[in-house]
Amino acid sequence: MLAQLRGVTKRYVKTEGVRDLTLDIEEGQVLGVLGLNGSGKTTLLKLLAGLLFPTTGEVAVLGGPPRKNRSRLVFLGETDELYSWMTPTAGERFAAGLYEDFRPERYHELLDFLEVPRRKTKAMSRGERGRLRLALALSRDVKLYLLDEPLAGIDLLSRERILTSLVREWHTDATIVLSTHEVAEAEGLFERVVFLRDGRVALDARAEGLREEGRSVVETFREVLA
Amino acid sequence: MRGFKTLLWLEYRRSRVWAAAFLGSLAFWFWGLNQVTVRDFAERAGIRVAIVGVAAAVGLVVLCFMIGRLRGETRHGQYQVLLLTPPSGYVHVLARAVFALAAGIVYYVILGGLLWWVAARAGIHPDAGSVLQLLLAGPFYGIGSVVLPFLSWTVLLMVFSSAFRLSGPSWIPGIVMVAGTPFLFRWISEGIVNVSYRLPAWSMFGGFTRLIEAAEMDIETEVVITSQGALVPQEPLWIMLALSVVMLAIAGRIWQEVEG
Repeated sequence: MLAQLRGVTKRYVKTEGVRDLTLDIEEGQVLGVLGLNGSGKTTLLKLLAGLLFPTTGEVAVLGGPPRKNRSRLVFLGETDELYSWMTPTAGERFAAGLYEDFRPERYHELLDFLEVPRRKTKAMSRGERGRLRLALALSRDVKLYLLDEPLAGIDLLSRERILTSLVREWHTDATIVLSTHEVAEAEGLFERVVFLRDGRVALDARAEGLREEGRSVVETFREVLA
Repeated sequence: MRGFKTLLWLEYRRSRVWAAAFLGSLAFWFWGLNQVTVRDFAERAGIRVAIVGVAAAVGLVVLCFMIGRLRGETRHGQYQVLLLTPPSGYVHVLARAVFALAAGIVYYVILGGLLWWVAARAGIHPDAGSVLQLLLAGPFYGIGSVVLPFLSWTVLLMVFSSAFRLSGPSWIPGIVMVAGTPFLFRWISEGIVNVSYRLPAWSMFGGFTRLIEAAEMDIETEVVITSQGALVPQEPLWIMLALSVVMLAIAGRIWQEVEG
């Protein structure tokens, strides 16, 4: 098992991000974490990344506490966290200097494929910055990629490129956990979907199984979360 | 070490405009020193020394602002990225402190050079030992006993406020921390005064005071100034260095535990 959550509750000052959540994440799958705003998607991904610690329950990633294994996973947050002075070249220096698993040749391929302009991020559009962030994330050779809303606020063409690069770069021993509101566009990518409602798992299903039942992920999303 | 080098580079990239402006401000102070046209020889030298003193104090404030920009990173999300990088919190904190300290060393050594220039303009030409004290021993003593503790305190304060966001119940320790700072410094100062001069004091700037005496300059001397120069106590340096290490270690530890 790549990651496990056992009875995890994350309490903030006045609210709960997730409640009594139990989930197993296997190796080599693309898992979609879907839900309405405030359903606990970001909290779940941050718990898996080690950015948040559970109030109760246990989280294990790659056999240990997530924070201890932070060098072996990728977390792409929903905030636009690149420094404004950063160029793709500076980003490469940053990532290559900190992560042993960073692959410069893959990074250059991704920059070209995603058509990332070679200028400072402050001179880039939101979509271009999103593509640069994704190129930096996917250029690392890890077992777990946690991508929180990588398509949010990005134009249609950029979204298509991002999704195509996810398909291209996914390798069978890696797991991608992807949270997104763009359910219809990302549907073809998912092998498994977890629907969250009020911090709890409302449905955990194989995407293929849903299709065999004649339901798409989008339809199921509407049924479960409406 | 690989991570430390990259984090140091990151500090340089984040703060190079600040560092350049900080070091460039020395040109302003030099210009200010040149504007002093008081006729009286001793008064002119005194004003110039005072200007260098102001430059030293302003430099400390600028350095603290430079190192304290972690709050902006929390707001813009870069802090999340840094938290998930492989180097430990201690390495992150150390990289921040080392970069600011390096900028501080260059600044204060040049200020020492400006004092030398002021002395030379006043007709005081000390021996090589005194010049070295002015350029290296003096600045390093000041950095170790004043600048580094302030920088360490700023790092600790920023890491603390970034860690707990000073929201909800965290307001209480945050306010206590900020409001308690003047009292803390007062207690530390009183404690240092109480223990100072128990170890043999260091004599500094003896060459200068002898030259000043020889020139029969009418300068008010403080109690600690003797014909051997200023007798500088060792204790403040060691105590403040130790406190700085403790504060940086606590900041590094908080960094390890922080949520993003």
